[in-house]
Parts: sequence; C-alpha cells; structure tokens
Amino acid sequence: MIGAAWRRLVALLRSPRFATVLLLVLSGWAIVGGIVPQGTATNSDVMAWAAAHPAVERYARAVNLHQAFTNPLFFALVVLLGISTALCAWERTKVALRRSATLHSAARSDAASVEARHDIEIVCDPSLSAPEAMAMAAETVERLGIKVRAQDGALVSVSQRWTAWGSPLFHWALLGLLVALFVGNAFRAEGLMGVAVGQTVPDARASYGVVTNGLLRNWSGVHRSVRVDAFEPDYTLGGVDRGPTPTVTVLDANGKAIKTQRVYPNNTLKTGGLTIYPNAFGLAARGSIVDASGKVLGSGFQIIDFSQEASGGTVAVGGFYVPNSKGEAVYDAQVSVSLERDAGGWIQSMPAQPAARVVVVSRDGSTVLDRVVRKGEIVSLPGSQSFRLDDIVYYARLQVVDDWTIPLLYAVLVVALVGLSIATLARQQIVLATVVESPNEVRFLVRVRLWRNAPTTRSELQDELTRALGGNQKGSMT
Amino acid sequence: MIVEILLTWLALTLYAVSTVLVVVGVVFSNSRFTSWSVIAAAIGAVLQTVSFGVRWVRLGHGPYLGFYEVAGSLVLFAVATFVVVAWRNPRLAPAGIGIMPVALLLLGGSMLAQGEVVEMTAKLTSWWLILHVAFANLAFGAFVVSFGCAIVYLVRARSVDGKWAKRFEKLPVQEVLENLTVRFALLGFLFWGIMIATGSIWANEAWGRYWGWDPIETWCLVVWIIYAVYLHVRFTLKWTGVRLAWFAIIAMPLSLFALVGIPLVFNTPHAGIGGLGKDL
Ligand code: HEM
Repeated sequence: MIGAAWRRLVALLRSPRFATVLLLVLSGWAIVGGIVPQGTATNSDVMAWAAAHPAVERYARAVNLHQAFTNPLFFALVVLLGISTALCAWERTKVALRRSATLHSAARSDAASVEARHDIEIVCDPSLSAPEAMAMAAETVERLGIKVRAQDGALVSVSQRWTAWGSPLFHWALLGLLVALFVGNAFRAEGLMGVAVGQTVPDARASYGVVTNGLLRNWSGVHRSVRVDAFEPDYTLGGVDRGPTPTVTVLDANGKAIKTQRVYPNNTLKTGGLTIYPNAFGLAARGSIVDASGKVLGSGFQIIDFSQEASGGTVAVGGFYVPNSKGEAVYDAQVSVSLERDAGGWIQSMPAQPAARVVVVSRDGSTVLDRVVRKGEIVSLPGSQSFRLDDIVYYARLQVVDDWTIPLLYAVLVVALVGLSIATLARQQIVLATVVESPNEVRFLVRVRLWRNAPTTRSELQDELTRALGGNQKGSMT
Repeated sequence: MIVEILLTWLALTLYAVSTVLVVVGVVFSNSRFTSWSVIAAAIGAVLQTVSFGVRWVRLGHGPYLGFYEVAGSLVLFAVATFVVVAWRNPRLAPAGIGIMPVALLLLGGSMLAQGEVVEMTAKLTSWWLILHVAFANLAFGAFVVSFGCAIVYLVRARSVDGKWAKRFEKLPVQEVLENLTVRFALLGFLFWGIMIATGSIWANEAWGRYWGWDPIETWCLVVWIIYAVYLHVRFTLKWTGVRLAWFAIIAMPLSLFALVGIPLVFNTPHAGIGGLGKDL
C-alpha cells in the first residue's frame, strides 16, 4: 500500500508533465510577485497597494504574496522542482549512458553491421553501379549538412560520445544551483554596519544596524573586525567618479590586517566569503568623557546621518552615555553637526568649519547642556566630569555580506552553461550507409538516428536519397 | 551628431524597404525580391553599426545605456542574426516577413522615444556589463529568428487553399522549419541564461548582491522559465505543429517586454535599459 503510493509519488515527480506544469506555476508566481509590491505589512508601498486593492489584498495576504520569494509556499514549489529535477537528471543520465554506448559502437561500424541493422532501404536505379550509388549518396547527405567519411565499405557520420552528456550535465547543474542557493541562504548573513573613519567594529550581530541571516548562521564562530581607515567623498579613477569611497580593512581575531582596499562599485572588498560594499555615508563625532583629573573615562563614536528634513541637516543615531564613577549611565549625550546650505538644501558633506551641537540629557529627561562645541573643545557637565569633542569625521555605512557559497554558485553556473551549450550546439546523430549489390538489384541501406540538432530530418533524408538514387523505397524499418 | 542621425534614418529606411521587399517577394512568389530584402537589411545593419560607432566615439561608451541605445542594439542584433542565417541558408530568406517588421517598429519606436543620454557611472564601469548586454542582444536576435520561423510555419499551416503555402514553397519543409524554430529558441535560451548569469555576477560585483528580485531580474527569469517550458513541451511532451508555433510566437514579445518594457511599467534600478538614469 505504502509502496504503491510511494511509487506513484515518484512517478508523478518524475513525469515530464508535472515538471512542465511546475515550471509554469513558478513563472506565474514570479509574475504575480513582480506585480504585487514586496515587503512587510508596514512597508509604505505594500500599505498603499493594500488600500487601493482591498478585494485582492485579502487573497494576497492569505498566501503572503507580499513576501512572494521568501514565502514557504514558494519554497515548497522550489523544493518540488529540485526533487523533480534530480529524478529527471537521473533519467537523462541513463539516456546519455545508452546513447554514448550506441555512439561508441556506431563509430566502429562497417558495411556488414549496417547491412545487419538499418532503418531505410532504397532500391537504386538499375543503371547505377554500387560505387556510383555510394558517391551520389555521399553528395546528397553532405548537401543536407551531414559530413560523412568512408569506412570499411560504409559511409559514416557519428557524433562524439560526449555530445550525449549536455542535457544531464545541465540538469544536474540546475539541481546543484538550487542546492547551492539553499545552502548559501541558510548560512548567509547580510547587514548594514556604520563605521567611522578610525573606528574598528567587531563583525558581530550587535554591530549591525540592519541584519538578516540564515537559520544555520553561527555568529559566535566569527572573530574578525572591520576598520575604516580613510574616506574620500569624491574618488575619481579613470575619468569616472566612483562616488563616496571608504578605505576599509578587515582584521583577524588578533587584530592583524587581512586585507585593505578602497571600496566602490565594481571594486567590493572580498576576503573569504566576505563581501563589503559602500552603501551610504554620513558624519560621525568622536567624543570622550573626561574626569576632573583629565583622565578619559570612556570614548566613543556617534553616527550622524544626513537628513534634508532635520534642523541643521543631520540627525544623530544612537548616542553616548555619561557614566558615574561606578560606570553606570547618568546622562545621555547626543551630538549633531550643522551642515552648510545652498539653494538645493543642506549640502551633504563635511562643513568647512565643523562644529557639533552637544545635547546632554539627564535620566529624568531634563536637558543639562545644549551648546555648540568646536573640535578639541572641552565642556563641563554637571558634577565633576567634562565632555571633549575629539573629532568630526566621515562614517561609511558598509553593506557586509558573508556567504562562502558564492564561488560555488559561480562554478555551478559555469557547469550549467557548459552543459547547456553542449545540448544546444552539439549534434547527436548517427548516419551509417552502405550499398549491397546482388545479381538483380543494387540496394542502398541507411541506419539513422537524429537525436539532437541535426541539420535535416529523417524523412527529408529519406526523400532526398530516394530522389538522388533514382530508386524506390522498399519501406523503412525502425 | 548629424551624421549619426542621418545614418540611423537611412538604416530605418532600408529596414522599411527590406520589409516591403520581403512582403512583395512572398506574396508574388518572387525569390529575387526576397533576396533583395536580405541585401537591404544587411546594408541597413551596416549603416546602423556605423551610426552606433560614431555615437560610441562621441559619448565614450557602447550602445547599451538608455532606451534608444538598448532597443537599437536589439534591432541590430536581430537583423544581423537574420542576415547571417539567410546568407548561410538562402532558403530561409522569406522568414524575414516575421522579422523585419519587428526590427522596423522597434527601431522607429526607439528613435521617437530617444531620451536623454545616460552617462557612464561607477556601477556601469564593468566588463560584466559588456558581456551581460552582448548576450541579451544575442538572445533576442535568436528569439526573433525563432519567432520569424514560427510565423512562417503558422501561415503555411493555416493556408487552407494552399495559396500561402505556395508562396512559401521555397522554404524548407514544415518539419525542418519547426526544427529551426526550436533550435533558435534553444540558442536564445542559452544566451539568455548567460545574460542572467553574467548579470547576477555583475550585480554582486557592482552592488554586493547577486539577486534581489528586482522587476527586471524577475521578468528575465520568467522569460527563461517560459522558454524552458517551450523546450520541455517540445522535447518531453512531444508537442509539434501549430500549437508549438504559437508558443514561440507568444514567447518572443515577452522577452521584448522584459528587455525594454519593464522600466516603463515598474520602478527598477536597471536604468541602462529604460534610460531613466535611476540609482546608477
Ligand atoms: C529546473 C528547471 C529546469 C529547466 C530550466 C530545464 C530546462 C531544460 C532545457 C533548456 C532543455 C533543452 C536542452 C536539453 O536537452 O538539456 C531541457 C530538456 C529536457 N528536460 Fe529539463 N529543465 C528543468 C527541469 C526538468 C525536470 C524537472 C525534468 C523532468 C521531467 C526535465 C526533463 C527534461 C527532458 C526529458 C528533456 C529533454 C532532453 C532531450 O530530449 O534530450 N527537466 N530542459
């Protein structure tokens, strides 16, 4: 009972009709996913669309169409396609094995073997001699695009054995691609991390502003860190403006530099599975809390993002806290920088004379300090501590992707394309012919298999040969 | 600039002449007209190439940025593929009846829509881009030839009184024509696959992700899958005849939509194609 059901399931998954329908369903799904805005329920595009199409939205939400490509239903369809592709690739492998064996033995055919096994038999014009018939047939076949050579009394055109392997190679590689994508997404981590010039940030989950990672991602195994050494707002190379360009260093667990380079589009930093790309930039303030004796109690960076809407053109992201002697936070400090303006609004780059507005708020919410501070200036906070503005620098928001499967993915793609090229361009064919002379007739015999990419068809070949040899067909056997 | 415009207009005129010649050649069963139509298409393609060459020197980048350049390159590759096919196998020249009108309309459309020039940017400065665009063009060329063969197949198959079948009698028999339709679709599928692969490698190099379900990426995948379905119904479900031809006829416009139609409908960072210059 279970055995029968299992067999039926396998037969279904292996059936060409199922594969075709599945591919159609997936393309339909992708079209719909392309039309319906993608994102979470709070995404503004999604909300606008939902409001505009309330009737459709009910169904869209039911199958989670707004997250069409991370949706379990989509995932299930892809898994089914993977299983079906594996079964079919296996079938294709068996076909290729048989074909390559047939090609191998056909390549060694002679007149006798063609006489023993053929598909077409033509009785030639009685006035033709056997050698004449062979010559005319060779010419006809070549005119139809098939080059033949003479071998042991037969005309032979047999493809190489490897030509049979294009389709299985391609289908196996497709499966490999699905598996690599699946594994890659399970281990992958991708996020945005703000790093100021001079700052070193550990590559840990907490260092990211936004981060997504696969189920099998293990953060505790990562011990490297990322440093930004310099930042050029307009880096130009080869006459092309490469945009805001940070110079980034990746450090190992011991703080030793693994790789340093400028990162800009088409020049991402790659080391191991890591890819670093500049996503955005802004300013950062480095400040320190200093005690009465001048001892630094703590320093940190405050990230400052550009914003045309905010007063001064920037907003502070996060902030410092001012500790008491036990290290407990007693005040929160926030630093923003006023940009220069022109007719187009705030100019989103470092002002000529950078100065920071420092706002210090006590834990009960009352403002204890609000003033503009210059670089290097120290301002006293209530109590015995002071705040020193050490520097104002650029920060780079780096997109950090950790995915060791990417080279694997590229390799599988290459294999898939090689397989597909073979399936597309290489012929898979057998044409064997010979002539048999008996006292009262000359018969022309042909064995033909035109599996793939042949320049002609079997019936065209048969008709043209019959016409050329001026004979009649004795029927064909398969 | 004047030379460039003049040459494109001349190319357009020659494509129009080629279209008229192939129609006349087919309707009046005159193979001389059909051969002339291939010659006109060939000269048109040469002139269009020179025009693009002049533009390349003027702007410092190849014809792959903005609607005019992208659609123009697609036309050039489609016509060039057809000319090579018809030159190698003159019996196929009448298939121009399904190809030249597409070339004519697309080039005309792109000239009307000629937008502003899209400049090279850091993201576009990549060899992957060149490969990506070249294979998009090659794929489209193959799909259009497949489409042309399918149109002729269909017209012949539908010719009840045999008049149209007679007009196309110089073409290879239906079975061979059908095989050609499939082979060009397969070739297009291969090139389209290379286009997607190089595109995703470029995306990974240029902006650090290989796939983002952006509308163009999604549609390119859809077109690839639809051609896979076409090849499957042919090779595994053994479809033949009129319904297979219809499939090839419907699939080609989808590829055109993916290449030039998406930016008109969706918001996409693929500004190269739409010429909208977004996010590059
Ligand atoms: C993952 C998605 C798939 C894609 C993109 C795809 C694509 C293709 C393409 C392009 C061809 C023609 C070239 C060649 O012969 O290799 C083909 C042929 C074929 N495919 Fe697939 N395929 C997929 C999955 C499957 C599945 C699941 C099956 C199982 C039924 C299957 C069975 C076949 C068969 C039997 C052929 C004919 C090969 C021949 O006649 O030589 N494919 N496929």
